[in-house]
Amino acid sequence: MNAPTEITQAQLTGRHQADENAPIRIAVKDLNFYYGSFHGLKSVNLNFHDRQVTALIGPSGCGKSTLLRTFNRIYSLYPEQRAEGQIMLDGRNILDPRIDLNELRSKIGMVFQKPTPFPMSIYDNVAFGLRLYERLSKADLDIRVEESLRKAALWDEAKDKLKQSGMGLSGGQQQRLCIARTVAQRPEVILFDEPTSALDPISTGRIEELIEQLRSEFTIVIVTHNMQQAARISQFTAFMYLDELVEFGPTTRIFMNPEKRQTQDYITGRFG
Amino acid sequence: MAALTEQIALARSADAPARKTPGGIGDSLFRLASYGSALLVLLFLVGILGSIAYGGWPAFREFGPGFITSSAWNIGQEQYGAFVAIIGTIASAFLALLIGVPLSLGIAVYLTQLCPGWARKPVSMTIELLASVPSIIYGMWGLFIFAPLFASYVQIPVSSLVEGMPIVGTLFYARVPSGVGILTAGIILAIMIVPFVASITRDMLDQIPTVLRESAYGIGCTTWEVVRHVLVPQASVSIIGAIMLGLGRALGETMAVTFVIGNANRLSASVFDPGSTIASRIANEFNEADGMQLHALMALGCILFVVTFIVLIIARLLVRRVKVA
Repeated sequence: MNAPTEITQAQLTGRHQADENAPIRIAVKDLNFYYGSFHGLKSVNLNFHDRQVTALIGPSGCGKSTLLRTFNRIYSLYPEQRAEGQIMLDGRNILDPRIDLNELRSKIGMVFQKPTPFPMSIYDNVAFGLRLYERLSKADLDIRVEESLRKAALWDEAKDKLKQSGMGLSGGQQQRLCIARTVAQRPEVILFDEPTSALDPISTGRIEELIEQLRSEFTIVIVTHNMQQAARISQFTAFMYLDELVEFGPTTRIFMNPEKRQTQDYITGRFG
Repeated sequence: MAALTEQIALARSADAPARKTPGGIGDSLFRLASYGSALLVLLFLVGILGSIAYGGWPAFREFGPGFITSSAWNIGQEQYGAFVAIIGTIASAFLALLIGVPLSLGIAVYLTQLCPGWARKPVSMTIELLASVPSIIYGMWGLFIFAPLFASYVQIPVSSLVEGMPIVGTLFYARVPSGVGILTAGIILAIMIVPFVASITRDMLDQIPTVLRESAYGIGCTTWEVVRHVLVPQASVSIIGAIMLGLGRALGETMAVTFVIGNANRLSASVFDPGSTIASRIANEFNEADGMQLHALMALGCILFVVTFIVLIIARLLVRRVKVA
């Protein structure tokens, strides 16, 4: 009856089914988040399955980006922000103050709303993270850079201009360069914070295809404003509203058969 | 009926507030005034440059290229050469950058990346206050307070330490440890340019988008790596601009330098020895100058113009290279 529902139903058929038996990669328990005195996330409990794409959806300001930003503790750049509770990754609580943040961030990659190429050549952009954590010979580094650019579907466009600045690429290419840079570190999890919000539809399509391919190797969490995008690329969906997790489940069920009234209202476009 | 509507329409058009026709006398006056203001600046620049070049011309004609390469400055024998002053100008400005730029970058990085929120404003304000200190105060402080301390705690111990050593023995040996000299001038100049370079650099680092900074931290960089590889290169063009502004100030600064440079027309390889800059030479001698001496001072002024100009061109080339890379 509503346009969004029709689109999602068409898209949901033939999509990869959620593997609910996949091992749990990240387990969030009783997570509370504070911006100073403002309570930004209210006891969130949620599991992220290995090698599945989980989409975080919800209206602006619902806390989905806040949740994403706890997984690599990027929020800790800002002293007034803090998280309480547990986020278990590989049997360790990443909110533990003793965790080595730099090591954590090399294991949990992040791609941002806007492409963020560093002011250096395309090659160096990809090699940058590798040089921080691994001592590789020039030949091995070349191999890893090529491998990463191939995984980010950028190799064919970039192979002849590896020495040129990353700033000279188009927006979509820059975003794929950022994905290559993240992939190069062989992280376990990749976080996408509205990765296509600054891109045109064609570039968006390529990024979505890419996320689908990356799923075979990485656990992916993506924040998106776009419900169709969530339906197209994710296996699991978490709907958040007013700083709380409302509903979580396989994307097919969330979109076809939501249990909660709020979820139903949101995905049919009644608010948001 | 039709006639009535016509009448109404007519009445309306007559009553409607008429827009003044454009292009009236006010507009032309305004245009003339704007053009005039813009032209006036150009006129001043050309006028100053022209009159100084005209005033210095007899000296250039008398001594030829020797005016630049000769280190003589003998008022009695009417022998004038600018070499010592040119070298002194470049050396003191270079030392000022050598000391001031790392300091400024450090301050800017501290303020934008490391400083706790409550300390940011007071520290920023203090740095900007440094810029408002008149240069005569720096000169006075440099001569009466800094120079004696510098002589007894730096020049004398360092000189006795390096005496006889190759290279450093020449570079850091004070024949007369009076505290004044090229390095003293460089240090005072460094203090004077720090507020400019630091506050511009701070503003430039602040303008870098948050996502870029976050994504650098996001791949596991330490603060040093983020600053060194991402933030500073990202802002490099503007930072070079800030440094050039500082250099411009250091080259032309007169009062403070005149106090602390020693005003000797002697070429020395030691940074502890007194020297002079173009600006300090002019400031020292303009009072009783006439005849050829006045022409020589005018010619010195011309050279300062040219040196500043060359620095600016080199800066532009550098900036272009950074942009291409």
